[in-house]
Amino acid sequence: MRILMVSIYPPVRDGIAQYAIQEVRALRAAGHHVDVCSPEPSAAHFHIDLTSKRGPYALAKLVGRYDKVIIQWHPAIFYNVPVTSAERRRVALGLLIAFRRAKSVDVRVHEFDVVGAHGAGLASTLTRWMWRSTDRITVHTSTEQHDFSAAYEIAESKIEVIDHGVNFTRRCSATRAEAREELGLPDDSYIFLSIGFLQAHKGFDRAVCGYRGLDPRRATLEIVGSLRVDDPEYVWYVDGLRDLVAATPGATLHEQYVTDNAFDLWLVACDAVVLPYRMIWSSGVGARAELYGRQLIATRVGGLEQQVPEGTVLVDDDEELATAMRVACGQSEAPKVEWTNLEEADQPAIQAEIIRRAASSGSANRIGVASLPAEMRRHVPLLELPATASTRATATLLKKIVRKLTGWELNPIVDRVNELAAAVALARPTVQDQSEAAPSSTPNQEELPG
Amino acid sequence: MDRQGTLAFVPARYGEGTVGGAESVLSDLAHGLAGRGWEVEILTTCARNHYTWENEFDPGTEQVDDVVIRRFPAVVSTPRSERAAIGGAIEHGHPVSLRDQQRWMNDDMRVPEMYHHLVDEASRYRAIVFAPYLFWPAFACSQLVPERTILMPCLHDEPAASLELFSPIFTGVRGLWFLSEPEMALAERLHPDLAPHRIVGAGVRVPDRYDPEGFRRRHKIDGRFLLYAGRREGAKNWERLLEGFAAATIHANLPFYLVTMGTGDVRPPSSIADRVIDLGYCTNEDRDDALAAADAYLQPSQFESFSLTILEAWLAGTLVVANGQSEVVSWHIERSGAGLSYLDNAELEECLRFIAQEPAAAQKIAASGRDYVLTNYRTDDVLDRVEASIADWLPARDGGS
Repeated sequence: MRILMVSIYPPVRDGIAQYAIQEVRALRAAGHHVDVCSPEPSAAHFHIDLTSKRGPYALAKLVGRYDKVIIQWHPAIFYNVPVTSAERRRVALGLLIAFRRAKSVDVRVHEFDVVGAHGAGLASTLTRWMWRSTDRITVHTSTEQHDFSAAYEIAESKIEVIDHGVNFTRRCSATRAEAREELGLPDDSYIFLSIGFLQAHKGFDRAVCGYRGLDPRRATLEIVGSLRVDDPEYVWYVDGLRDLVAATPGATLHEQYVTDNAFDLWLVACDAVVLPYRMIWSSGVGARAELYGRQLIATRVGGLEQQVPEGTVLVDDDEELATAMRVACGQSEAPKVEWTNLEEADQPAIQAEIIRRAASSGSANRIGVASLPAEMRRHVPLLELPATASTRATATLLKKIVRKLTGWELNPIVDRVNELAAAVALARPTVQDQSEAAPSSTPNQEELPG
Repeated sequence: MDRQGTLAFVPARYGEGTVGGAESVLSDLAHGLAGRGWEVEILTTCARNHYTWENEFDPGTEQVDDVVIRRFPAVVSTPRSERAAIGGAIEHGHPVSLRDQQRWMNDDMRVPEMYHHLVDEASRYRAIVFAPYLFWPAFACSQLVPERTILMPCLHDEPAASLELFSPIFTGVRGLWFLSEPEMALAERLHPDLAPHRIVGAGVRVPDRYDPEGFRRRHKIDGRFLLYAGRREGAKNWERLLEGFAAATIHANLPFYLVTMGTGDVRPPSSIADRVIDLGYCTNEDRDDALAAADAYLQPSQFESFSLTILEAWLAGTLVVANGQSEVVSWHIERSGAGLSYLDNAELEECLRFIAQEPAAAQKIAASGRDYVLTNYRTDDVLDRVEASIADWLPARDGGS
């Protein structure tokens, strides 16, 4: 069969590119002729900028040569930001024509946007037609299946859930001991691993916070990954993560691009893979970890709950994550840090210790603020979302639901406010600065009229 | 030595008319190992020219001696304006985002058919050897099967060398072959987590005989001359050499012609146009005879990872005059004692003045060069080191068929 795959493609560093190459490899090994079309120049046979006006029509010309078209769908491949109504019309109309010209269209949906899906306007109508003109839509979890079906009014039966790792094969034959030796890891520790691109929605800082307090001689946390893009908010996040890890004995940040083989070597070396995501649709890391039978600890976000294998520990918040990590490594008792030398300590010393402990307690939204000197930190109150706990159980449940529904929008705002507050605090002159500046300013003040 | 399995060598260009150190070293290794009984394939493009990447050879498979050559079309599908713009920023040392580094790499010649040949066939090869690191085939294809990849980076201290883009291949492949100690030291400095690595060097073919008079006769060259063989381009400091040679010729009334062979436009300044003789692309035999006939071989390039031609000059008993800013060339000169180096035009002028006035003394300096090459860079010794590292890194039981 002649197949055209449309996808982000290597050597571009990207999760979908890695997914695509594995499917291409499997299809070619099965005897199919597979060509690839990517949105930018890559190892693909063709490249078409699908965000351009003519892009979808160029694709429409190409698809006729193939028996099947497989699209690795991510909105960023097709839509320009902001996604206006006109933009949705452009994409929907162009792809509708391309899909109609193709003999068969399979769409692997990695992420999708439901904005305007239900509307009666032209853009929404065209978008629904576009999706309905496909032959097969695949997602990785039943949550996505349900949401997609509801958004685009397509029967769930037409949307197939496929295992994220369906085309994944093992790339590492080392034993756990060999992998640890190669990576220079201790052979007698329980090792937690969080691996992948370093970005806020992956929530690796949550893993650090969950790990805090564990005995670093008996368990370590290895965070492995690199920046995918060096946009300011990504860089800022990694700066904060670096600080957090530095303040956490037993946690290590391996800032490195991870090759395919090294990726699997890390999975083999660890005892448990922590997926502390704030937002995700489905996880390639989880799928690869499953290949090696590694314990998974994952947050219950996106479609992870449906994707992960039986035996995975799913958690809803940071406290549950910390508990799960403690239980996994056999340190079930919550750590108790003794207060020592209380008889000799005066109030400032105790106050300082309280601040120190709070700073290193790892509240997730302390990233950035945590690195401030204590005095500054006291002048920069953290913005925190209201507590969900209530004396009435039903209210707690309701608040938790609201938090879950709105968290994806509110958390980045809270983080950004705290980041700005930290920047302001750092720029604010200290008392010492002011007193040092005072003598030189006095003569000028005397010269001021009136 | 266990020689099971097929070895693939992946130069960006191969065949008659391709000029390039890395390409030449890989080709020699491929044929040398085939001569020792290995099954060897060369995977390369159909291009000869590394500027245009025009497909001049036919795609497909052919056999050259004991080696199977598989050619794939080079694809240049953009005006490469993005590459030029980002490349300018890289050259000037400006920070360039990873996203732009990827664009810079992909907005150039690419070889999708070669990439997909390896997608399909990589497991068939025991080792896949790429060089140099800067070209797309090495960058993109080596990441497909890092566990079977050996990279011969041919690294020099150019601005692109420190790009984060290359980190995965320097740290993730099965092994790295270096040509010299300075090259290895540079790689270790740039990538502290360097993959397993060794210095293997490059073998220098020892001609059976030299025919300097035949060279003069064939090309109608009378009188004393200096030689430069290789790519005539800015990256090799060709223009600077012309400028320095012109200044020295005029100031010191030098008796030399500058004979040059290789690829690229020569464009001498009008003041010395009659002193510069361009022979274009020449055979290896012609080059060897030219080396033996020359008063000195000039190596103006700052960015060298090995500099095969200066070793070939020493084999011919000819003095080398080289840009001292090249760590590798300085290292060779220091170890061999068979060359002179310069850091600016004034020093170049003095070097040339010395050769013009004291040819016997110049020849005496050059004399130790041949022994240096024969002691360190015999082809058999290099092939022994190469085979030993393949056996260590990719033993047959883990390898392909």
